[in-house]
Amino acid sequence: MWRRTPLLLFVLLYTVVSGGPFIWVAVMSVRTTPEIFASPYALPSRFHWEKFVQAWAHSNYSTYFWNSIIVVSTAVVLITIFGAMAAHCLARYRFRGNRPIRFLILSGMILPPQLLILSLFQILLDYHLYNTLTGLILVYVAGHLAMTVYILEGFFAQIPQDLFDAARMDGYGDFEIFWRITLPVGAPALFTTVTLNFIVLWNEFLYAVVLLTEDDKRTLPLGIMHFMGSHQLDVGMVATGLMIAITPVIVLYALFSDTMIRGMTAGAVR
Amino acid sequence: MAVVAIDGLGKRYPGSSEPAVEDFTLTIGDGEFMVLLGPSGCGKSSVLRMIAGLEPITTGTIAIDGRVVNQVPAKERDIAMVFQSYALYPHMDVFNNLAFGLRRRSVPAAEIDRRVRQAADKLGLTPYLRRKPHALSGGQRQRVALGRAIVREPKVFLFDEPLSNLDAALRVSTRNELIRQQHEIGITTIYVTHDQVEAMTMGHRICIMDKGEVVQIGAPLEVYRSPANTFVARFLGNPPMNLVPIELGQSSGRLGNVDIPLRSWSPRALGHARTVLLGIRPEDLYETPPRPGDDLVPIAMQVSAVEPLGAETLLVLTLDDGTTDIIARVGRDTRLRIGERATVLLDTTAVHLFDPTTTRVIPRDLP
Repeated sequence: MWRRTPLLLFVLLYTVVSGGPFIWVAVMSVRTTPEIFASPYALPSRFHWEKFVQAWAHSNYSTYFWNSIIVVSTAVVLITIFGAMAAHCLARYRFRGNRPIRFLILSGMILPPQLLILSLFQILLDYHLYNTLTGLILVYVAGHLAMTVYILEGFFAQIPQDLFDAARMDGYGDFEIFWRITLPVGAPALFTTVTLNFIVLWNEFLYAVVLLTEDDKRTLPLGIMHFMGSHQLDVGMVATGLMIAITPVIVLYALFSDTMIRGMTAGAVR
Repeated sequence: MAVVAIDGLGKRYPGSSEPAVEDFTLTIGDGEFMVLLGPSGCGKSSVLRMIAGLEPITTGTIAIDGRVVNQVPAKERDIAMVFQSYALYPHMDVFNNLAFGLRRRSVPAAEIDRRVRQAADKLGLTPYLRRKPHALSGGQRQRVALGRAIVREPKVFLFDEPLSNLDAALRVSTRNELIRQQHEIGITTIYVTHDQVEAMTMGHRICIMDKGEVVQIGAPLEVYRSPANTFVARFLGNPPMNLVPIELGQSSGRLGNVDIPLRSWSPRALGHARTVLLGIRPEDLYETPPRPGDDLVPIAMQVSAVEPLGAETLLVLTLDDGTTDIIARVGRDTRLRIGERATVLLDTTAVHLFDPTTTRVIPRDLP
């Protein structure tokens, strides 16, 4: 018991440090700004649930939310499909140019996003994709494919070759093997990349703020900025907006955390 | 049901200087159980994978029922394979593992159901049809892998060391089960193993391979009794055949200070050789004469180890030169102990002679 005390203390401290601010924001989301300014750490005297309705209906939050849903889910679906296909090929087939292609794809992880933003801006302008959700989706897919291929390839390479040979003997072709063997067997890894990509893209700010300028095209992270005007800061509404923004991430994590952890730690597919 | 004809088959992997398989020629008859036997890395699995269509062929041809299949993809060859790792689909239950291959071949659902249940019944898998592979024991997984091959009703079965992941007791029972199933179904079978006991007990014929080449093909006992070279002589049999260099004299050979008569070889057969390798199996050395006759030669040696195995006892005997060991398989009630001198009787009719340079057998040419 006593030997575990330092570990327990550490876990407790970690929970307070990471969970504390979240609870604080959650509490502030149902308090008004004057209440918060009067006493920042107080518990709500009355639960102002109407702030959620207000943010959703009057502050264009529903638009931001749906924009985010459209952009992030489309991007995640595309990243997963193309990433899984590329990872399957790199992990399974020995073909000419295999190594340079892998190097090219993975080198996409090295470049910091700030470096690419000017050229992306110009490219999207040239193709009339600037200020469109499609443009942002394409940028997200391109930007996150490398990491996804990297994670999936490592996992797919551990699936025993015999499984693929067995499916070939059972009469299946290359695409069917990908669809019926690699994807289901690699499901834990797929859930991992889906969850990670979803969380990262859901919170993505830099590309969104540069590539989207019209208000009804904005995604949630930009919408929260909306409450932070240049002259005033509506802390209460920012907290409400943050709670709305974070809900899908929490739901997704709650649903897939088990599978995701299994995907990150799984060594053997057996 | 099919005849598999392999002609001049060769395989060279990219980046490898030595071919993995070279000039491999073998015809497997309809319904025959053929075992490819050899040590690790001898090319037997490469041959199997080329027959399956999982590995491209470098040279030569493989024909099934007279049709050359070199360019035919694996899925169209109508061959089923059982893998060493079983290769069960981990995300499917037993039923779906068995049905997977049939679905691809657009077999009607009712027929799939009938065939899967029939195979499951035959292999005792009926209670496990809804279980995933991870919830099965090693033996059950093995049976699912076998069932997956059986339900397909293919032209040819391929087995790639299917018993090597099982423990000793299960291996024996599964081996007998496999022999029975193959006998009942009668499908042409090619079975790869490095285990000589499996080869001896299962195959109608054995094809022994070494360094990518065929060394000898024949019925198990025929190969055991008449090995083509020292490799086969040592590879088959446990403990292996004793090989001792002897000096040749006039129609006899000198082993230590004993003359071994070599009546079955004419001087012409022995040629100009001065020394040859004498091969004698451990069971052809006796402590007491098994029969009256003059073809048993007594040899006195030192006992350097006694290994009682229960049913029999192995004696490690050292010749008077002090370096050459000979193993004898004698009765379980031997009283010989380490350090004693023993006289064992060598059955001269069971002697084999090998050329020490080519390692090939020197055939008998006299009755």
